[in-house]
Amino acid sequence: MSILLSDDTRVVIQGITGREASMVTEYILQYGTKVVGGVTPGKSGQMVRGVPVYNTISELMGEQQANTSLVYVPPGAVLDAVREAVDSGIKLIVIITENVPQHDSIKINWLAKKAGAKVIGPNSVGMISPAHHVKLGAIGGDNTERCFVPGTVGVISRSGGMTAETAWMVKRAGFGVSTCISIGGDPIIGTPPVELLKMFQEDEGTEAVVMFGEPGTSFEEDAANFVKSGGFTKPLIAFVAGKFTESMPEGTVFGHAASIISKGMGKPSTKMKKLEEAGALIAYSHDDIIPLLKQIFEKR
Amino acid sequence: MARILENYGLDILKAEGILVVEFSVATSPEEAGAFAEKIGRPVVVKALVPIGKRGKAGAVKFADNSQEATEAARSLLGTEVKGYPVKKVLVAEKVQATNELYFSISINPSSAQIAVVVSLSGGVDIEEVAANSPEKIVTYFSNPLEEFASHHSLEIMSKVGLEGRNLVKVAGLLRKFYQIFNKYDATLLEINPLFITSEGNVIVPACMLSVDDGALFRQKELANVAHEGSERSWKPLTEIERRVQEVHDKDPYRGTARYTELDGGDIGFMCGGGGGSLLSFDEILAAGGKPTNYTEFGGNPPEDKVYGLAKCILSKSSVNGLFVAHNITNNTQVDVEARGIVRAIKEMGIDPATFPIVTRMPGVNEAEGFRILKEAGIECYGEELTMATAAKRMVEKMKQLL
Repeated sequence: MSILLSDDTRVVIQGITGREASMVTEYILQYGTKVVGGVTPGKSGQMVRGVPVYNTISELMGEQQANTSLVYVPPGAVLDAVREAVDSGIKLIVIITENVPQHDSIKINWLAKKAGAKVIGPNSVGMISPAHHVKLGAIGGDNTERCFVPGTVGVISRSGGMTAETAWMVKRAGFGVSTCISIGGDPIIGTPPVELLKMFQEDEGTEAVVMFGEPGTSFEEDAANFVKSGGFTKPLIAFVAGKFTESMPEGTVFGHAASIISKGMGKPSTKMKKLEEAGALIAYSHDDIIPLLKQIFEKR
Repeated sequence: MARILENYGLDILKAEGILVVEFSVATSPEEAGAFAEKIGRPVVVKALVPIGKRGKAGAVKFADNSQEATEAARSLLGTEVKGYPVKKVLVAEKVQATNELYFSISINPSSAQIAVVVSLSGGVDIEEVAANSPEKIVTYFSNPLEEFASHHSLEIMSKVGLEGRNLVKVAGLLRKFYQIFNKYDATLLEINPLFITSEGNVIVPACMLSVDDGALFRQKELANVAHEGSERSWKPLTEIERRVQEVHDKDPYRGTARYTELDGGDIGFMCGGGGGSLLSFDEILAAGGKPTNYTEFGGNPPEDKVYGLAKCILSKSSVNGLFVAHNITNNTQVDVEARGIVRAIKEMGIDPATFPIVTRMPGVNEAEGFRILKEAGIECYGEELTMATAAKRMVEKMKQLL
């Protein structure tokens, strides 16, 4: 089981004719993802790895029924792409594009909210649900099973690369994943961890969640408050990278754009303390995820 | 986020029809004195550097006449303010105000809104006002899909306590600030203070403007004046940082190569992924080692970028070892990375038998990558070693070989 993705996931790729998008199209098709079409204005009638290209989503919807969009258009075109997707009734939009202007990102959030759609990203490496053989984005590359095997652990990660490495820790511990989400490295993203924890709480196929956190934002603090208030009652393993940034000059970005401590906010130590107080299991080293998972599942 | 120097910020406000003080940029004490002479009134002389709170840093001086202005400029030029060399000063007319207001417009990431903060207690640190008398501050969050209408602006200014002619006048100005904030893809526009003079004029003496560097592609006129990248290091770039920037900019759309030089340390740090590099740095410290730089690379960089980055990292005189680690890659090609690293090491005459190098680089095309690394005598690991364990191995190897 899983959240957000299912056997019914039917994908349209916006910007499918780009270099990275067409490579990813091949990988996700190989994995089993149902890609019903791609959109690049002016390229209707072309094919990308056997997938038909349309000028617009509405043109595609005449022939296909997409319910999920994977966005690969350039930064300045993302806002319009999301508008098109929500106007076409698409309810899950995954934005891979990096460097989306912040003024556009805030509008994207509100457009999605108004339409009752979920946005993952921008600046996400994608998401995956192995039990359904669905993945969106470069996640797992051409060797998906290496890190991602089916199971009952949800993964939420602020880092794209560490989504795979964290899922691999789950695999090493002898377990598998339900849904893994790279939420995006930007300060303004569509779906913060709390929203995902809500869904994982509801999902019968998820028994525990591992969260990969970073400095900056209040995502982890918000998650801690959510757990404390009883919103998420399953075991939560939390890791927060970048403890060293606390001894660096404030206001410096290390890693992702959102990874910045300013005015004393966003410190990994504060995040870990709040998560621990809320009852989460803290992995002080990323390697600790393995024994913590074993501890959770051996208790049962 | 890219900071815009104050003179450019004031230029923008002026071009948008807002009344700003008379000002000029001077690169010598004499130029500063000449401008004060020309306007014939007391002036303010400020170090022109892209940081806030310059008053507290002693970088703002007042001068009653041309001679004092010359002296003030002389005392600032050539100094450093929070690491920034002062090459220019801003000389602006000093205005007598009866009221000083505070305005800021910024993006509030957690609610994805634009936050407007207004207070009648301007001219001082807004953090202090917020701590001591929060009732004097009005904060308003806008819906980014809707227009910031005239009535929104009037409501805010009325709530903060303005009345009569000032209310109408300042509310109009606030709306204009909001439009400018949107038009220029700003992340922060702060006017502190805004002056209301005894004649009832509203005039801007200072401004702080930051724009979104992700939006510079559609803000062409700002690209030249934005101190891009300043958020990654709130100080001028070092020589090596500048060289890495050049390496990256040669092929800006393929892969990432970022470098931050640090004080002390002896491990050349070359790690991949936004999260992976943070984790690796923590683990090196936890194992008792100390990196001499921070680096983040990835996104399937071409060989030249990896090579250029490795060379820059190894060129720092305090480097006594090299640690390369990243997560299992989704699309980054390990063989391409390996070629770049080996090329840099060979060219610099580094012998892996005596110079500690540990690599942990699992991912796409790893078999070929490992072959290249091993052939060059470089200790290499794949997924059999976690990133944390690889960091421990690096620190251990440093101790063995040094």
